[in-house]
Amino acid sequence: MGFADVLESGKFVVTAEVSPPKGTDISGALAGAGLLQGLVDAVNVTDNQRSMMRMSPIVLCHKLGEMGFETIMHMTCRDRNRLALQSDLLAAHALGVHNILAMSGDYPTMGDQPSTKPVFDLDSVQLLQLIEKMNNGFDFHDKPIDSPTSLYAGAVANPGARPLEPQLLKLNKKVLAKVRFIQTQAVFDAAVFNEFADAARHTGISVIAGIIPLRSAQNARFMNEKIPGVKIPDEAISRMDAAADPALEGMRIAAETIADIRINCQGIHIMPIGGHGNTRRLLEMCGLD
Amino acid sequence: MIITRPKPIEEILSMVEMFPDLSICVVGCGICARKIQTGGEAQVSMMTAQLQRSGLDVLDGKIVKHACSTKSWDSFVEENPALDKAGILVVMSCGAGVSLLGRISGKPTLAGLDTTSLGSSLKDETLENFCAMCGDCNVGLYAGLCPKSGCPKSQVNGPCGGSIDGDCEVGERECIWAKIYEILESRDMLQLMDGIRPPVNHDRRL
Repeated sequence: MGFADVLESGKFVVTAEVSPPKGTDISGALAGAGLLQGLVDAVNVTDNQRSMMRMSPIVLCHKLGEMGFETIMHMTCRDRNRLALQSDLLAAHALGVHNILAMSGDYPTMGDQPSTKPVFDLDSVQLLQLIEKMNNGFDFHDKPIDSPTSLYAGAVANPGARPLEPQLLKLNKKVLAKVRFIQTQAVFDAAVFNEFADAARHTGISVIAGIIPLRSAQNARFMNEKIPGVKIPDEAISRMDAAADPALEGMRIAAETIADIRINCQGIHIMPIGGHGNTRRLLEMCGLD
Repeated sequence: MIITRPKPIEEILSMVEMFPDLSICVVGCGICARKIQTGGEAQVSMMTAQLQRSGLDVLDGKIVKHACSTKSWDSFVEENPALDKAGILVVMSCGAGVSLLGRISGKPTLAGLDTTSLGSSLKDETLENFCAMCGDCNVGLYAGLCPKSGCPKSQVNGPCGGSIDGDCEVGERECIWAKIYEILESRDMLQLMDGIRPPVNHDRRL
């Protein structure tokens, strides 16, 4: 059963994120994803995340598909104009990559290629519209395409962004543009997520909550400073500071967060720092294995 | 107002040194660059002194009324005769002024500033990124604040997820969408944010 069918069956889903390599050897990325066998409904593959140059996600999604994984390919508007977006959507579809996560993308100065020209020809809402159009057999300029796509499009939201109201207006536009699911920025404060979920409920959209198990207090402070849109509460950082086994404490915090938001979302999306070595254990702690 | 910023002097010297036998005239501009103090009298004098300290032959440093608009090259020369005598021009104006002088002077013409955006001067404050010159203006839909230029990601359908406490994730600036929302809400005009806005039609710039 494909990811779309699983999600639309109403099941509580688990997705997890992997990144393509900064180099030509994908064996490490495939081995890392191998830890997720039997654990997840789909694997997300990032697209030059945080503007750090890496291999295109298309090939890794394809290879993961050959291993039996459902994949969700991230596609940012930062690196491609509308011609390139369309080309890559066709390429992804031809390689069996059918789930796309449409996003604007972090700004280039966040990453390791800060002098890059930012494209942002379309925004995430317009990319969703483009995908819908291609699914209906037309390109951006309404010219027919041979053998249309059948892409299943998701998008992102950040429950912690403020002010929240304009974020919700944008979410409404994504729903208008036929988004099928939302995956969120990492949630560290259940109350913040639940407020967002309450406000988004009327759209009927499936929301999959992002989870980053913290590794150390230092790493939490780094994320607060460097990762756009992330806000880790002081209380969580104090707990990490005091913990004898910070990695375990990070998983406990994540498991508590999941328990507190579970009723308000249709799944969780695990984005670990440094590989999926602990993902099985975290899911066991949550009864999601 | 066209926003310009100073260039590193090393960059200017490396350009000037390509023409070792030629004398220099530094040209400021009496409009935007003068107003925001990137190419006014003080900046032209400083540039002239810096080039002279580097052992270069600088004939003069003066500002013209407006570097981007003139009747003819002769009109510029009437304003400042050193322009005609100099071998090369170092122009402290926006790119339009540099290009006009490059086009009509018949001399090597070098940019003394970097041109970054269209903006404004409000009292003593220089405000940047007011217009992206996209050729497809619908700023009225955004409370008069253009998100194509005011948002680093040119988001026309609402903010990205990096807006925290009203601040942009890129550099030290406000999230233009927080501002647009605030103004539209105060005017009871939030319905302007309801529909999906199309992307810019770049065809219109040709």
